[in-house]
Amino acid sequence: MAEHVILFAGPMCAGKTTAIRSLSEIETISTEAANTDRETADKDTTTVALDYGEITIGDEDKVRLYGLPGQRRFDFMWRILMERAVGLVLLVNNDAADPLGQLAEFLEEFAELHERGGIVVGITRADIAEGPSLGDYAQTIAKSTSGAIIPVFTVDARDGNHMQTCLLSLIANIESRAALAYQQEQAA
Amino acid sequence: MSDKLHKNPVVVEHARAALETFRSHSKSLGYATILTTDGFEVASIAGDAQQTRRVASMASSMQALGDAVARDLKMGTCDYIIIAAPSGYVIQLRVPGYDLVIAAHFDSAETLGKALSVARLAANDMAQVSVAAAAA
Ligand SMILES: Nc1nc2c(ncn2[C@@H]2O[C@H](COP(=O)(O)OP(=O)(O)O)[C@@H](O)[C@H]2O)c(=O)[nH]1
Ligand SMILES: [Mg+2]
Repeated sequence: MAEHVILFAGPMCAGKTTAIRSLSEIETISTEAANTDRETADKDTTTVALDYGEITIGDEDKVRLYGLPGQRRFDFMWRILMERAVGLVLLVNNDAADPLGQLAEFLEEFAELHERGGIVVGITRADIAEGPSLGDYAQTIAKSTSGAIIPVFTVDARDGNHMQTCLLSLIANIESRAALAYQQEQAA
Repeated sequence: MSDKLHKNPVVVEHARAALETFRSHSKSLGYATILTTDGFEVASIAGDAQQTRRVASMASSMQALGDAVARDLKMGTCDYIIIAAPSGYVIQLRVPGYDLVIAAHFDSAETLGKALSVARLAANDMAQVSVAAAAA
């Protein structure tokens, strides 16, 4: 398979920008602005358009990585970038106010990507907050997607190896689904 | 310093006044918004509330993309952005010294040069706000 476009979505502070920096083999493009909304997330800057990075998987498969802004006021960027994407890494920070609610909300918003390619869920910042268990997350996924196969991992967005595992499982999922669809087409 | 500029009454009041002056300088001004660089509306003239909020978010994304391109080409930071369309244009530029942007929509009756110069006046006007005084 040639070029994949993978999105990184999830609430503010989930680690989307960090994940793309950990994964990318080119210097990432970022669009950080001074964060004036310290109530929602206590950090200096926030992504207001996109993050961009690239990684080569295997011999030649180039994967383009786009990070989205987490806030709903930027949902026009979600729409623009969703059009070109085949898969989604959905990151949810375990220390969010309502991580299960956030997960359900983002799954609904990006359901189209599940139909078209695939989704994988990464739970971040589990080292600093005791939030819901992986089982709780899996249950929320099952409830909000009527039994879709969406893997969920605990990851540290700062760790390139964690993020690669997450990304590779997503790409394997997308490619096997594409192969299956191709076989079915041939049989029909 | 950039904490919640859009909720600071002194900043919001100053922005309103700057936009009113801006309007008096150009009949072609459709609507104008002053926003934080992270996409919160500070004040607007004309345009309905939903529209100006959306424009504020989009303008902050545009500004950041402009910066990303300028940075990549080693041109420094992006000063202003112009979006031209058949029936008018949008000019947006940074308020010097603040994490604020002004975005303005003009109909095509205005020349680009005049529109840019009045928009720059408005940005400089906004830059006169004293956030220190507001906090005191
Ligand atoms: N302790 C810890 N910090 C993390 C983890 N993942 C991300 N972070 C940090 O969380 C912060 C928010 O990350 P950022 O990439 O800006 O989030 P974004 O809003 O989703 O783009 C950064 O300071 C990261 O270093 C994690 O698994 N553990
Ligand atoms: Mg970010």
